[in-house]
Amino acid sequence: MKKSDLLKMWMRAACFAFVAVLVSSCANDGVDSAPPQQPGESGESGAIEEIIVTGAKVGGREQSRRAWRKKPAVVERDMSVVAAVAPRFHRNETLSLSSVAPGEELWIIARVSLEAQGTNARTDDSPGSGAMVARPYEPGHEPTDRAGLVPLPLKHTAVDASISGYISTVNVRQQFQNPFDEKIEAVYMFPLPEKAAVSEFLMIIGERRIRGILREKEEAKAIYEEARRQGYQASLLVQRRPNIFEQKVANIEPGKGIDVDIKYFHTLAYQDGWYSFVFPTVVGPRYNPPHSKDPIHAVANGERTQPGGGTAARYLRPAERSAHDISINVDINAGVTIEDVRSSHRISTSHHGAETTRVQLANHTTIPNRDFVLEFQVAGERMKSKLLTHVDPGSGQGYFTLMMYPPADFERIGRQPMEMVFVLDCSGSMRGRPLTQAKNAVRAALDHLQPEDTFQIIRFSDNASQFGRTPVAATRQNIADARGYLKLLRGTGGTHVLQGVRTALDFPHDPKRLRFVTFMTDGYIGNEAEIIEAVHSGIGDSRIFSFGVGSSVNRYLMERMAKEGRGAVAYLSPSDSARKIMASFFERISHPALTDIQIDWGGMNVADVYPARTPDVFVGRPVVITGKYLGAPDDVIVRGLRDSEQHSFRIAAGRVGQNASISKVWARLKIADLGDRQAWESDPYDELASEIRNTALEHQLMSAYTSFVAVDASRRTEGRRGTTVHQGVPVPHGVRYDTTVGKN
Amino acid sequence: MRVVLPLLLLVSAVGHAAPTESVRFSAIEVYLTTEQPVSAWQFELTEANALMQVVGVENGESPAFADAPYYDRAAVENGLADRITIADFSLADEKRLPVGKTRIATVHLLTRGDREPQLETVLVVATGYNGQAIDASISLSKSTE
Repeated sequence: MKKSDLLKMWMRAACFAFVAVLVSSCANDGVDSAPPQQPGESGESGAIEEIIVTGAKVGGREQSRRAWRKKPAVVERDMSVVAAVAPRFHRNETLSLSSVAPGEELWIIARVSLEAQGTNARTDDSPGSGAMVARPYEPGHEPTDRAGLVPLPLKHTAVDASISGYISTVNVRQQFQNPFDEKIEAVYMFPLPEKAAVSEFLMIIGERRIRGILREKEEAKAIYEEARRQGYQASLLVQRRPNIFEQKVANIEPGKGIDVDIKYFHTLAYQDGWYSFVFPTVVGPRYNPPHSKDPIHAVANGERTQPGGGTAARYLRPAERSAHDISINVDINAGVTIEDVRSSHRISTSHHGAETTRVQLANHTTIPNRDFVLEFQVAGERMKSKLLTHVDPGSGQGYFTLMMYPPADFERIGRQPMEMVFVLDCSGSMRGRPLTQAKNAVRAALDHLQPEDTFQIIRFSDNASQFGRTPVAATRQNIADARGYLKLLRGTGGTHVLQGVRTALDFPHDPKRLRFVTFMTDGYIGNEAEIIEAVHSGIGDSRIFSFGVGSSVNRYLMERMAKEGRGAVAYLSPSDSARKIMASFFERISHPALTDIQIDWGGMNVADVYPARTPDVFVGRPVVITGKYLGAPDDVIVRGLRDSEQHSFRIAAGRVGQNASISKVWARLKIADLGDRQAWESDPYDELASEIRNTALEHQLMSAYTSFVAVDASRRTEGRRGTTVHQGVPVPHGVRYDTTVGKN
Repeated sequence: MRVVLPLLLLVSAVGHAAPTESVRFSAIEVYLTTEQPVSAWQFELTEANALMQVVGVENGESPAFADAPYYDRAAVENGLADRITIADFSLADEKRLPVGKTRIATVHLLTRGDREPQLETVLVVATGYNGQAIDASISLSKSTE
């Protein structure tokens, strides 16, 4: 058989084989007209753009059959293979790896580039080579369950975290391996915590460890593309959102592997004696309202990137899975006695003294499809406010972190009348358990309302509507009616959060009541900047409490909405008790310890403080402020309103400490703040972008304008650029494929 | 100590025909020679014609320095960089520290244009197990497959 065929195949598996089905939204007109290509060189021609690898039921029978019908020329290419597979399509049988008989063949079919089809609608700038063949598993290493298994390059993610006090340092190793008979470029979109400050990047080839260089984004991309084009092994890490990153690894040779290490740190959330460490494992499928800037599309594994620019996350179909698994180890050194440890996943713990504990993810919970949440409770009746400082030895610049906890007597304050606005995301991604949980949370909150309160319920998906024309009194009848209203809500349509935000903020505020707006959403949208801008401009006297619902929430959006809304964030996973969490949440928001806060910095000359707008202090939850200072550390006085009266408390300054991480925490906060401001500030000369870039380079951090690149220039691989293979990931646990990715 | 290495063999060293691209990649091995075990070192690598961009810094051959060395941010400022400082240290036992001639790093470079870059390296410091400066010399070599 000629190698020039677009359809090139196969592996004769020793004892089993897969069937890969061509799925392509591209027309096949260009297939036969594609020029002949040689393995490893065909990327130069640009005729074949990427490889579609799939081994299971693909998008349901109808889609499979349709794809098949669209490729008559392909079918005719090699009848010996087709003969084994085609009858199943025609009999409408579901194709899966488990249904393939021994002796059958795996074939993986190349996608024709749009260039070759005479169109300029390409969205991927990385043409690849011709069709590839997956290699059989090594003897003795076959997976025990091969049903639906799709050959993909990411084998394993190893997470090793070290927690010291309130800062966590995390090393993430991504192990890529090429399961094909030609070299590939692996592309993987993955999440990191929204506060992650990515500071190190290494490409590992055997024992060789090549430290990546942080450069301006376009410069890094150009270096990577050139290295890839010339056949050098290289890797590139790009930030797509503060919590979404894209990893590219070029020229992975057949059967070989390349590892990538990403190191970041972040501060831990604290509430009521518990610290919380979160590692997200999957990017939720985003909905992009029309005209979204820089969208992130949700695309089925093997499908083409949608038109309109932006990037795409690839999702495995319900019957598909990859061999990618995850291990997580967390070493906790709390500095005080650890009283308890709990997690979203099954874990094993080993204690090494009262203050240190090692936590490991149990082996059977290693599917990376939901956030790993680890919480540990520390001893002590209550935390104390403190001021941590650090002076950079090189520049003499001082940095500080102020942690404010309300004094004990602030907890005994009266409850003020409230105007509660519940905003529910009723889009398709919330369908099922997430929406049920959100409704349960609202029902629980209704039980906490008192007669002097008012409330409103707003639902949004493609549009927004509300329970009452105006907020209604929390009477027994109104609450009963609200319960009936909740019962009727269904999850369908797009996630037009903007509609929900505007509806919730654009009506007159009752000055007699504290207005709290609680957003209950998974945050699966691609236009975060627009949402943040709408909150910023419309917040007025309201406070926003964002309530992330689901197993892999868009925590970046949740945190930013709460920050701009001077409120706080809480999370409700599918397995949590909505009633319990809402009770705790409601108790907190109905008792703010201090509002409208002003800080007297004493003799410290303070600048560049983040967050710029100080949020209210609530019982049990600290407010953390980080900034730069000159002069000597001094006592700080915090003033604010409590029961409409001015109150204050003093925080004593300690000595200048060795807290070098404060400067990077500050830099990360500054970058985040500048990024938020881009949403609403006019920036004709790109001054904000320039400031982000300079801050990132000075402090050696990833940002939207800086990327890490690493090249192994010691050896050039055979041939030129490899074929691009996108890593498909599962949709998050509890999220339906058919109402999210399947809708696109 | 100052060492100069003209990069005449950027491509031939990797066993391929010379590419026509004006952008070329090459790897430079950096060696340290000492009579005592070395626990820390720092050197500067410069290129006189501003043709060089560092695209990776790789660990050397000693297990005592298993991780990749660190670089300073001069390598990434102002686009093309003509100077980079690279350093590393080890907390390993004295017996595990390298002595004699040891490859301490490989610097991966991108160069542009047809002119041959002129690399120059200066050893800033090398220290022994007790943290005292020790006599050492530094040298460069092209990486070969």
